[in-house]
Order: sequence, then C-alpha cells, then structure tokens
Amino acid sequence: MNEKERQEYLEQYKKEKEKGVPFFPDIIFKDAVVSLVIFIALVALAYFVGAPLEPRADPADTNYTPRPEWYFLFLFQLLKYFPGSLEVIGVFIIPSVAVILLLALPLIDRSPKRYFLRRPMILGATILSVIGVLFLTIQSSREIPLPPELVGGDQTAVLYTENCAPCHGPSITVPVGVNLHEIIAQSRHEGMPAWSGDLTSDEIDALAGFIISPAGSQLFTDNCSECHQVAELVASDPVALKKSIQLGMEFAPHAEVEIPDWNKSISQEDQTKLLNFLVAPDGQRLFATNCAPCHGQSVAFAGGEEQVLDTISQGGLHLEMPPWREMLSENELDLLARYVTDPGSVPEGEETFQANCANCHGSRIPSSEDVEAARQIIAEGGAHDTMPVWGDVLTPEQLDALVTFTIAAAEGTSVEIGQELYSQSCVSCHGEFGEGGPNPSRAGDIIFPISTAEYLKTRDDFTIRAIIAQGQPNYGMSPFGSAFGGPLDDEEIDAVVAYIRSWEANPPVELPPEVVIDVEQNVVLDTKQIYDQLCSQCHGLNGEGGIGPAFENLQFQATRTDTQLYNAINIGHDATSMIGWGDVLSADQIQQMIQIIRRFRPSPVSGQPTTAAVSFSSDVMPIFQAECVACHGNFGGWDASSYTSVLGTGDHAPMIIPGDPENSFLAQKMIGTQSIGEIMPPAGLLPEDEIQVILDWIEAGALDN
Amino acid sequence: MEEKDQLGRRNFLAIAIGAIGAVIGVVIAIPAVAYVVGPALKRKTSEDWVRLGPTSKVELGTPTLFKTTIERQTGWIVTEEELSIYILTEDGRDYIALSNICTHLGCRVRWITDQGQYFCPCHNAAFDKIGLVVSGPPPRPLDRYETKVEDDQLYILLGG
Amino acid sequence: MSVHIGDWLDERIGWRNVWEAIFLRKIPKVNWFYTLGSATLFVAVLQGITGILLTIYYVPTPDHAYDSVVFITTQVPGGWFIRGVHHWGASAMVILAVLHMVRVIMSGSYKYPREVTWFTGVGLLLAVMGFGFTGYLLPWDQKAYWATIVGTRIAGVAPLIGDPILRIMRGGEELSAVTLARFFGAHIWVLPATLLLFLGFHMYLVIRLGISAVPRKEE
Repeated sequence: MNEKERQEYLEQYKKEKEKGVPFFPDIIFKDAVVSLVIFIALVALAYFVGAPLEPRADPADTNYTPRPEWYFLFLFQLLKYFPGSLEVIGVFIIPSVAVILLLALPLIDRSPKRYFLRRPMILGATILSVIGVLFLTIQSSREIPLPPELVGGDQTAVLYTENCAPCHGPSITVPVGVNLHEIIAQSRHEGMPAWSGDLTSDEIDALAGFIISPAGSQLFTDNCSECHQVAELVASDPVALKKSIQLGMEFAPHAEVEIPDWNKSISQEDQTKLLNFLVAPDGQRLFATNCAPCHGQSVAFAGGEEQVLDTISQGGLHLEMPPWREMLSENELDLLARYVTDPGSVPEGEETFQANCANCHGSRIPSSEDVEAARQIIAEGGAHDTMPVWGDVLTPEQLDALVTFTIAAAEGTSVEIGQELYSQSCVSCHGEFGEGGPNPSRAGDIIFPISTAEYLKTRDDFTIRAIIAQGQPNYGMSPFGSAFGGPLDDEEIDAVVAYIRSWEANPPVELPPEVVIDVEQNVVLDTKQIYDQLCSQCHGLNGEGGIGPAFENLQFQATRTDTQLYNAINIGHDATSMIGWGDVLSADQIQQMIQIIRRFRPSPVSGQPTTAAVSFSSDVMPIFQAECVACHGNFGGWDASSYTSVLGTGDHAPMIIPGDPENSFLAQKMIGTQSIGEIMPPAGLLPEDEIQVILDWIEAGALDN
Repeated sequence: MEEKDQLGRRNFLAIAIGAIGAVIGVVIAIPAVAYVVGPALKRKTSEDWVRLGPTSKVELGTPTLFKTTIERQTGWIVTEEELSIYILTEDGRDYIALSNICTHLGCRVRWITDQGQYFCPCHNAAFDKIGLVVSGPPPRPLDRYETKVEDDQLYILLGG
Repeated sequence: MSVHIGDWLDERIGWRNVWEAIFLRKIPKVNWFYTLGSATLFVAVLQGITGILLTIYYVPTPDHAYDSVVFITTQVPGGWFIRGVHHWGASAMVILAVLHMVRVIMSGSYKYPREVTWFTGVGLLLAVMGFGFTGYLLPWDQKAYWATIVGTRIAGVAPLIGDPILRIMRGGEELSAVTLARFFGAHIWVLPATLLLFLGFHMYLVIRLGISAVPRKEE
C-alpha cells in the first residue's frame, strides 16, 4: 500500500463515515441485542446443564483419562500425529509458527485489497485453518472415549481406547523385538503409568497383541469371542493355538463344537494377524513361555541371525547330534547323562561335557529330569521330537522377535538373567527386594536385608559370589554354586551378583532409622531413647509394666539392687522373655539404663511424699519460669508468674488443691491424667524430677515458702 | 417529517438498549446479591437431641459436669467442638442443664463445691447453683438447655 | 433536575465531550457480524463480575479448593448460577473472540491504518486462552488435575526452555499446592491486568480509528 492508496482509503472512509449512523444508539442497539441473545444462552446453559464438577482430584488415580478443555482439544489432537522425537514439532514449532503468522498478518498481507474474494490466499488460508482446527477438535472428541458398542464388542479395543488412546492416539507403531509387555507393565517414559498396577498380566498381553495386530483382535472378536475370553487365550501355547486353527474340529478341545473350518474360512494372512494378536511377537515373552522350559534363561550361542532363525524354524530337525555310543564308553555315557540331569551330583562330568558337548550346547543343555532318557538321547543322537518345528507354528513377526531376543539374551545382559535367577533361587528367603525376613530354615531367626546401601557397600563382588556359591551353613543357607552341589554355575552366580549389585545405585530397602542401633559403629544413642524404643515395649513408656515387671512399682524398686538390675539387663532371664542386652549395650549404657529405671519412682497416688521440704520460690518457681511462663504469663488463662496467680488463675481455677496432687488440675495436666484439653507442656512430659518437685510441693500444702 | 421519524426511531432504540441493559443487570444482580448475602442469613435449622450420658452419673443436689463433642459445619469446614454442660437435679426427675460458658465474655465457669457457686476466673463472676448471677459483670444467668430423659439416658437439645 | 446534575458534572469533569467522542461519533453502516467484538467485550465483563463473585468463597488450596467449589455450587444461594455462567462464559469468550477475529480477517480490517489494533487483538486472544488454561485447574477435580498435568507437560516438550517452563508453571517438579496458588494468581491478577491493558489499547484504537467499513466488491 503506497502513500496514494493510503490517502485514498482515508478519504473513502471519511465519506463512508459521513453516510453512516451514530454509534449510539444505532450500533449499540445491535450489540445489545446480540449480547442479550448470548446472555440468554449462557443463563440457559447454566440452568439446564450447569457447570460440571468431577470427583476431587486424585493424583494416585492412574486410570483417569485426561482431557483438556474443548478449545485446547485441537492442540491435544495435533500431538498425536507427532509421536516420539517429532513431538516437539506438534507441541512447539507448529503453535509458535501459527501465533507468529497470526500476529504478523498485517505485515504479510499489505495489499490494498479488502474485499474477501479479491484476497484468495488469505481467504484460503483462513478457511484451511478453521477447517483444520475444526477437524482436529472433532477428531479428538470422537476418538477418545470410544464407547464399547462402537468397536463391535472388541474388548481389547475398548481396553486400548480407554487406557492408551488418550495419549497414543488410534495406533502405535512398534519396531520388531520390542518387549511390549514389559513397557506396558512398567512404563517407559514420564507420564506413562506402570499399568501393571491397574491391568492384569493377561490384559497387558492382550494390549500388546492389539497394538501389534489390531486386525487380529477384530478377527478374534468375530471368530472366537463367542466361546473364548481374550484373557484365557492370550499368551497361551502357540503350538496349541496354531493347531486349533489348522485342525478346526479335529483339534481335540473343539471336537464337540460346531465350528467352521477356519483354515479355509480365514485367509493365511488373517491367521497370521490373529496369531500375532493372541501371542504378541514379543521376544522375551515368547522365549520365556516356549523356550525357557528346556533351554533355561538363555541359549549359549555364537552364530548369526540367519543361523538362529534357521535353528528355531527347523526345530528338532536341526539337531544333528552324532550317536555318542559309538565314540564314548558306557561309563562316560553314564557320567554325561547324570551330569546333564544334575550337574551338582557329578562335578567330574564337567570335563567330559566340555570336551564333547560344549561346542554345540554351550555351557547349558536342555534340562531333563530323567537320567535314563538323557542317556538314551545322548547314546542315539539325532533329532529329538520334543522341539517343535517352530517355523510351522510361529508367524514371521513372532519368529523375528524371538530371534532378536535370543541373540540379545545370548550376548547376555547379565543383570536381567540375574534377576530371573534371583527370583527363582533367592526370593523365598531374601524377599523380592532383598529385604529379608523370617528365616525359613531356622525358626525365630531373621534374615538381614541384603539390599541396603550399607550392606552392599561393605561387601565386594568376591564376597557375595563366595556367599552364594558356598552358602552360609551357619545361618541355614545352602550352597548354590554347582561346584558345591548347588544349581548355579559360575556365570549364573555372576549374573546374580550383578543383579544384587544393581541395587546399590538405588537401594530398594532403606533401614528405618531406629533399627540402626549402630552396634557395629558404636554411635551411642541416648540411653533414654533406647529405653523408649526397646525396653518400653515390655516395661511401658513410664515404667508402668506390661509383659515385663512395672518399674514404678514400689516393691520392685525396693527389692532390686543395682547389681541385680545390671545383671538382669546384661544377661537377661532365661525363664522369662527378657533377653540379655550385653551384646548390644555397653556397660555404661546399662548403668545409665539403671538410672532411668530408678527414676520411675512410685506414682504420687500410691507413694509416700518425699521427705525434704520443697520451697516454692527456690524449687517450684524456677520450673514454672523455665517451662510455663512463656505462654502462661500474658496470654490469659492460667498465670504461672507468681504465687498468687498460680493458685488463683486459670480457666479451670483453682489449678491447685493444696495437699491433694491427685485432684489438682495442674498436676493432672502435667502427668497426663487431665480430663480437659491436652497434656502440658504441649511438647510432652517435663522431666520426671521436675514433675516430682511440683507434686511434692502440692502434697506439702502448696505453701508460699 | 423524515427527520422526526429518525428521531423517534433513535429514541426507541435508546429505550430498548436501556431495557436490555436493565434485564441483564437484574438477572445478574439478583443472584449476585443472594450469593453474597445468602450464607449470612442462613440460620442453623437443625435441632438435635444430644446424648450426654446415664442419669445415674448425676449426683443429687450437686452440679455434675458432662462433656460431649458436637460437629459444627461452617462453610465447607466441619469442626469438632467440645461442649461442657453442668447438670443439676434435686430430685432425680427434673434436670437443669447449664452451659459452662460465662454469659459475660465467654470464659468457662467452674463449679466450686466449697462455695456452692459457679466461678468465672476471668472477671471473678459468680453464679449460684441454678445459674443465676450472684456477683460480677455477667448480664444474664448461665444459658440453659432443654433436657429430656429416655431409657435412663440424659439428652439435651442443641441448636434451634 | 437530571439536566442540572448533568451540567454541574459536565462543568467539572467534561463528560459530555467524552460521551460525544465515544457514543455520538458516526460509524459507517455495518452488518451484524460487526457486533462480535462488542459481544466479546460483554462476555468479558460478565466473566469479570461472576469471577469476582466466585472469589468471595473460593479458596485456592488443594485441601479446600474442591470443597469450596462444592459449597458454592450446592450451598450458596445462586452459587450454581454464578459458577454456571462463569463456566460457560469461558467457552463463549473463546468462540466469540475467534469469530470476531475471523470477521476481521474476512473484512480486511487488520489493514492500514488498523495494524496495531490487530496486534493487540492477537494479544487479547492469547490472554483469553491463558484464562481458559489457568481457570481449568481451579476446581481441583479430576478433570482439572489431569488436564493440567497434561497441559503443563505439553509446554515442557519445547526444546531447551521446555523444562524450565514446565517447572515455572508448576512451581516445582510436581503439580501441587504451589501450582494451584500460582494458577489462581495468574487467573485473577496477572491475566486480568494483561487483559485490561490490551483491551484499553484496543478500545482506544477502535474509537480513534473508527470501525472499518464493509468493503465493497471492487475494493
């Protein structure tokens, strides 16, 4: 727009203005009418719909599907099209660019044209933006809580739309070999909940299947859901699943059922989708359910991907084991068979195994319970039928996943293997997180946590390895190393050690502070605290007794000498549940403990007044000054600052009944027998001797002496 | 003529604007005033018989202190409040329930057995056995609650 | 009588000039779409009134926010109405602001000499979005809490500055009492102040430059 055009516009506008109408009332009338309509609409909405209010915010609720207010939905929806590292485009770049473009509009479009049809670019862009925002908003509101009836009874799809779709959109792309089950169960990125808390393992399996093969889920719904629940079939035996589809009615469990011949009615492609849904191509899960029963945690293997794929696909057919009886003596065959079934029983078999078998079998071979059967297989060699021809059973996706995992596992992330081993061999005594607990092999014994920072810091790998391998016979822990007759070989022990070591960075068990009596480190706890935490459990916080004798009992105090008390604490009483504390407490601490016990003098009710005359000014007043006056001075209520006020003030005056501490309100408030309000001082009991001074003073008549 | 029409139209429009403004203003103002004033006008409507305890605990001729906690709702906050009530009976049939709150400034009075009086420590007020002012500043006797006895349990009427 | 008061006041504050400048100025003939701006202003005033009323009972802390909102809705006479109008007014505000903007684009009103009016208008739209975002959390119900979790995290995705922004919005790592308090502060102090600033400027420019005329076909 040049100078001339500007002048023209201003002149033109001036003319229009002159022809125009006054702002008030002509224009304002229109505004008022529109405002009234809007106002009526708002009142109607407030009246008929009201402002929604959901249940109180619950940060612990991971099931809630968050949704922003509708005018942010388009932004929310936009994010779904930019997964992963592209997210920043949807979140940041597009909105920023949009705002900048919007702001700069007058600078971008500087032509003098004003009629909208003469500005096709701006018109088009505006219409596109509006349609885009509308589309995203509608899409978002349609997509999120897809009601069950819309997904044709597909339970898993419902599960998905309820739990995953709000953040992940209608579908998720996952590379082959990703351990989906674990990701869903344990969460991978910030904001994603660990679903294992809310979903069952079967539901997670179903979700994993759905994510990889949504069509399979639909096929399941169409063909199987009449008889089967998703939960009963997911992650079941792929051999049986494959058979059930291929054999149709001839598959034994289907014999009595009227079913179509699925092998024909469902195309090969769809069968693959269905199988992918039921057994998600998830390497670790596949290995765990299908391979681990024979092959254990991992297969020792040094070949390439191709080779693994071949081996797995061919199943039993790949085995080309020579008939060993032609090469080995009967004795050696026996030895091997026994070694294979139970390595611990014949350590000398290892040499033979290494020489003949390790080449193909690595350090491990499929386990077998039966020595005879093992012997026969070794003797005859050749294929054995127990390994299915997986190539016929698994879908290509499943095979890929399995191969990926097998290779990864063979390379060994020993921590994961260690975790698995730990959960097999160690959990029953040491707990899932190494927290310990009651010792099952020695009644009354407690196994110390092995996952505290303290414990891990003070044991090196060598020590832990030795403990696992050799056991701790004194504490009832049997040896676990194969060299000592246990089930774990050196590599496996290393894996377990690696797993235990992995706790160190973030110890799952923190000792509660009071358990750290720090006997070993000789950090001396206040003896009073020890009493309060340990002794009081039996003897009462105020020595009132319980399981153990009451210390406030006059007779107890009178009939025990300090030496007797010392011995009782030091070595305990065999006949009672009093244990000896000599190992825990030092002599000094026991002496202090005796002092504490001696302080539990008989309570004022049952006891006789102590003899010495107590002076108000020199004994009682200092206590009041130190403990009470801060509050009970100027703030109303009881006033502790002088003799007259002590006796004469207070909401429940009189506070003191001379000669009768038991019924004196002040005394009650101090020893906690008050009927009104809190104990005083609010921080807790005064020291015993100070309370006693005041009680004695009241007992003696509450004199102003 | 046209001029005049125009003027009439303008006047009509101005009046219409005023009317619309007034309607909107009133529809907003009425709820707004109710909204601001409402809670202040709200009276405690509920009357409740609160159980204090067995009549057997009441000593004949001596005020006996009973305690009870009541829930009080202020706005959206519910607080528990402890009430102390002196119960007096001369014959075991008619009961007098006295609040222990001094009618002067709200301090707590105590029954002093020796003097046979309620004593308020704040300004040395004294009330007699049935709550009448004996000395000191209180403007009226101690507040009384209505009482009733059901199954040997003593009830007082709160609120109302 | 009223004329007397009017004269008396005019002599001292000169309101007649203002009245003439604002209300009696001539405006080109326009169509109904041109009422959207005023309608937005009307809803903004309505939001201001109902919003002020709501703060009388609302308490912005996690342990009271929800209860006080329930109290407003169920216990206070007219509370449901005030809150209902405020709630729906928020949506109306966004719709009207956007429609008004589309109208401005369509009629080319952002062009010379009204560029700055447009800038302030965009600022106003962003402020309205800010109102919506901060106000959403205040009832502290499930929807509020989780939507804000997601909303603040979206802001946290921005490169480099994302994390600091997230933390500043939340007032820490987590969505907490601090977040609620600062959202409240933003909603009733910071944003209204911003809005008034932009709005004042916007209105001043509208009055100074006049409403743009409906463009003719050849224009």
